[in-house]
Amino acid sequence: MKKDRREFIKSSCKALSMVAAATQLRHFGAMSVLAQKAVEASPEVEYKALVCVFLEGGNDSNNVVVPNYTEGYAQYSAARSAQGLAIPQANLLPVTPPAMQGQVYGLHPALTDIRNLWNDGKVAVACNVGPLVRPITRAEYQSGAPRPYQLFSHSDQVEQFRTAISTFKSPTGWGGRLADRTAILNQGAAISMITSIAGTNVFNVGVNSQPLIVTPAPTPLNQVLTLTGYGTAADELARRAALDQIRTRDLDKTMVQATSVLTQQAVNVSVQLSQNPVLTVTFPNTTLGNQLAQVAKLMKFRTQLNLSRQIFFVRLTGFDTHTGQLNNQNNLLIQLNAALKAFYDETVAQGISSQVTTFTMSDFNRTFNPAGSGSNVGTDHAWGSHHFVMGGAVRGGDFYGRPTANGTFFPTLVTSGPDDADTRGRFIPSTSVEQYAGTLSKWYGLPDSDIPIAFPNSANFPTMDLGFMNPG
Amino acid sequence: MSVLSSAPRRLRLLSLFGAFLFLAFNFSFVRAALPEDAPIVISESNSTRAVVTDPTGKRSGSPLRVIPVGARVTVYVTNLPDLLKAEGATAFRADVQDVNGYRYPLEVLSFAPTAERPWVYSLSFRLHDALGDVGDALLRVTWRGMSSNRVRISVGHEGGKIQDDEGSTPTPMPDHAIVHNQSEAVGLPWSGDRVRFMMQAGFGPTAAFELRVRRLGFSTWLEDQLEQKLDLGGIPRYSTYKYPPFAPTVTVPPVDCNGILSATDPEPDLVCFRNRYSMFPIQNWFYREALYSEDQQLRRRVSWALSQIFVVGGRETEQSGRMIEYIKILDQHAFGNFRFLLRDVTLSPAMGNYLDMARSTQQNPNENYAREILQLFSVGVDMLNQDGTPQLNEQGNRIPSYSQETVNNFTKVFTGWTFCNGPECPNRVNGVLNYIDPMAVNPANHDNSQKVLFNGTVLPAGQTPAQDLNQALDNIFYHPNVGPFISKLLIQQMVTSNPTPAYVGRVARIFNNNGSGVRGDLKAVIKAILMDPEARGNVKTDPDYGHLREPALFITNITRPFNPIANTGTPAADCLGLSDGVLNIASQPLDQDAFNPPSVFNYYPMDYIIPGTNLAGPEFGIFSTGTALKRPNLVNQIAPPNSTVVGGIPIVAPFTGQTSNPNYAPCGTRIDLSRFQNLVVADPTGATLIDALDREMLGGSMSPGMRSDIATAIQAVASSNPLKRTRTAFYLVATSPQFQVQR
Repeated sequence: MKKDRREFIKSSCKALSMVAAATQLRHFGAMSVLAQKAVEASPEVEYKALVCVFLEGGNDSNNVVVPNYTEGYAQYSAARSAQGLAIPQANLLPVTPPAMQGQVYGLHPALTDIRNLWNDGKVAVACNVGPLVRPITRAEYQSGAPRPYQLFSHSDQVEQFRTAISTFKSPTGWGGRLADRTAILNQGAAISMITSIAGTNVFNVGVNSQPLIVTPAPTPLNQVLTLTGYGTAADELARRAALDQIRTRDLDKTMVQATSVLTQQAVNVSVQLSQNPVLTVTFPNTTLGNQLAQVAKLMKFRTQLNLSRQIFFVRLTGFDTHTGQLNNQNNLLIQLNAALKAFYDETVAQGISSQVTTFTMSDFNRTFNPAGSGSNVGTDHAWGSHHFVMGGAVRGGDFYGRPTANGTFFPTLVTSGPDDADTRGRFIPSTSVEQYAGTLSKWYGLPDSDIPIAFPNSANFPTMDLGFMNPG
Repeated sequence: MSVLSSAPRRLRLLSLFGAFLFLAFNFSFVRAALPEDAPIVISESNSTRAVVTDPTGKRSGSPLRVIPVGARVTVYVTNLPDLLKAEGATAFRADVQDVNGYRYPLEVLSFAPTAERPWVYSLSFRLHDALGDVGDALLRVTWRGMSSNRVRISVGHEGGKIQDDEGSTPTPMPDHAIVHNQSEAVGLPWSGDRVRFMMQAGFGPTAAFELRVRRLGFSTWLEDQLEQKLDLGGIPRYSTYKYPPFAPTVTVPPVDCNGILSATDPEPDLVCFRNRYSMFPIQNWFYREALYSEDQQLRRRVSWALSQIFVVGGRETEQSGRMIEYIKILDQHAFGNFRFLLRDVTLSPAMGNYLDMARSTQQNPNENYAREILQLFSVGVDMLNQDGTPQLNEQGNRIPSYSQETVNNFTKVFTGWTFCNGPECPNRVNGVLNYIDPMAVNPANHDNSQKVLFNGTVLPAGQTPAQDLNQALDNIFYHPNVGPFISKLLIQQMVTSNPTPAYVGRVARIFNNNGSGVRGDLKAVIKAILMDPEARGNVKTDPDYGHLREPALFITNITRPFNPIANTGTPAADCLGLSDGVLNIASQPLDQDAFNPPSVFNYYPMDYIIPGTNLAGPEFGIFSTGTALKRPNLVNQIAPPNSTVVGGIPIVAPFTGQTSNPNYAPCGTRIDLSRFQNLVVADPTGATLIDALDREMLGGSMSPGMRSDIATAIQAVASSNPLKRTRTAFYLVATSPQFQVQR
């Protein structure tokens, strides 16, 4: 045990020093975050956006992408039928990824529109993605090879997906670092490159980049951030002047400054978000639908806001299905399916479907071996999971990733099998978060030379481009 | 390097100080700029340049005018008169600010009194590599939330444009300890401490609270609060207001209580649903407690903090009747022993449901509770030193405190327990899940194989489930991490997001042993947290001190000092003229939906780092561009400056017609600023009004700049309109970033 920790630490040291240097361990510089240069965006920069849909709680992707060929389904069914967790084969929505050499797979029955988009070549699946220090096998894992800190813990694995760093707790996320490195493409932007419709989290935070946080629809975009209670009389203007002036005081106190900076950003943005664009598509009135509707509105407002690049974060919670999984996950996937469909259609209507790439992330996959049985049946925390990538620039209709122990991108669905970390079907990821995020980042405009800065652990992986994006 | 072994070297070094000394010091010039309880960093006698020496290598002890990049250096600090024996390097922090305004934290490596002048202490640290060749920069030392003067150092080279702080003067080597005039410490100058205390130990000051603390003193007030309160019948009482009366009921809401109106279904359906199948009654009860419960302020505050550590979510618990049983456990053990808290939380049906222990069996184990009790409720993921800092191994990395294997073994321990629904259960009701009695065990569902726990402790196969549980909880309880882990979380909830390791260490020591050999005595822990010198003292000047007020504290802190009452025209029968406590409608938009946290990781993550800094700021997890403007908008609603309407959280009528009304507020809430209005009538300059708001809301910490901004705004309002003047001033203080942070 001691030995493997030392090895683990050795390998993580390098990454730590790199990021420590990158983040410079500094506090706020006086108002540095607010420094906004008013430079006109170069007209030749084409608009691009990434939209992260975080399935919070750990989506059981074992029931989202299921083998549909005879032996494959038999393996799946053997592990999940007895406790009542297997989806009947007849209900699966068949897909035939060329990468799997003719073997048929099936999507969860709730994902009807996703499957149609798959058929149209607009949706791909990245297989068996998860945090890794470096690629490892079952034997290596069991003999203590380097692995991410605190595997199978919600907060830590969420963090690892959001930071794309699994050797230590990083203060910056990959969305934030991507924004740092591509800020030059967004010169003159009126608001932050990153917007979260689901609160603050580390994904959105870079060394220099801070997210804008807005509330979801149905709140109109021009009302998400407003300051109420001001009239136009002289004493009202004086109060407003004082409010603004006080925000520039006592900035030597770190938390006062952090509060001031965020408030100032909100005030700035409240001025900018002066319109409430009307969408073509009617979005479902659901948690995720309302978040994506707000994303679509911000996209529609992109020209006025002078935005060439945008990163969005939305989330759907409730995937921690330790119990009652069949119903709960089904309801969540119905919501996911409808919201993604509406969002894709809206990007088509806005003429930017090839400039917007939407992708999922989640804490982790869940144990292939069920927990409980019957109506209570659920699953525990596991590791590598399958994710959707959607958009016109996606090389859709196929599986992507890195080979598992069986040589394909898809793990062998056997507990204690060659891809299981232990005995319950916690599949060891064959594809790292870095590789998944790196592929998206490259399309977004991250220069190759900046990959080691945005993804300090990238050298541990054979490629940073999984090939699911058309060169943009 | 030990103090003893370095003694000869230090003597050599101190002989150098003769050069900086001159006779008959007068430190009054320092006092003018610094609070008297602030540390003073020694400078040269004729400039603000720090006396810096090199503690290592060939040039050991020699004064350094230019510090090499990345070097280890020593500076000298004085005015630490009541230093505790245990206060060493971890009680201090230091930082350097470069000419661009970036502030670099420095790791303090050693701290010791100097041999020749025991009132002068040497403080060594290494300059961070990232600081680089910045030239002249300003160095500060902080201690107990107090910032020293800032002295000039030169890193890499001498020179650069950085300005000394305004009013900065030389602070030369003193030849005697600084003696403060004790008479200055009596009376008003310390009121800032009292105000901060009332915000840390309760939900903010009221006139009565203030008077009581002033008369009794902090210790006696704490003892009084910690004392068991009894009902008339001699029954222990844990709250002032009665707990919401709704008992746990059937899981599926019946048609007359499902919140869906139908023709056959009279109006009370909605009331029924809201009272029984939501957290609404608990939220209102909580806010009433927070606003008015003077004899349970401390218990309510600690219980609220515990509810954010031992998180159970209302959405999953579904019924107020279920949740209140869980809150009773937190209330009861808030002043009890951590071991019993751990036991009762573990066996609580609400927790059993929330983290799935109630459904974990030998046949189908569920590791959710096993993982979270370790990660969030006791040990944490990293091995800790007793001062709460992570242990590092020789490569400088953290050491995990447990593995998946550990979780698997604890998972086995927790199997077999479920809702107590047999005839032996005193509070069993047919057809209703029993959320009142502790969970009971079905031995057939318990995995009685051997378990290997922390520290190699083996629970042999074949023990009873209760034996397994008790021994496993002991195993967790005695893990050395628990003291520092829990102490730090409670400090963060009540006092400051970034306590020094020394502070955490002092509290953890009390957690480990209350002085009578008892571990986990929460009374002693709470006292240690609130009486610590890092919590107490006058206006804190450490720039990193304090914590952002979470929405519930923001709301109570802007109402409690101002006599919160029912809104005008209320049906007094319900509320006796007091607020109805329907204040979650104010905190929910600020991302704190009381008792409905989004996950077991609370409303905000306790390890949240403020973007752009290295500082923890848990509450910043829900403070964003999206919520920032909702705070001023709430203040505007409570006391609108641009209006003569009464203001406040409105009365919301009972359900009428077909419109669901989840915010039913029979009496509403408003505050009374008339006391302040009188001040601005008596003193039209507004100075007295600002003084009072500064004293009662900011503990006397308002800066001259902010004061002048507010004065200008007051002056802009006609003196014939004292209402607007008062509200303008209140608005500007309550909305200020300075007030958002409790310091």
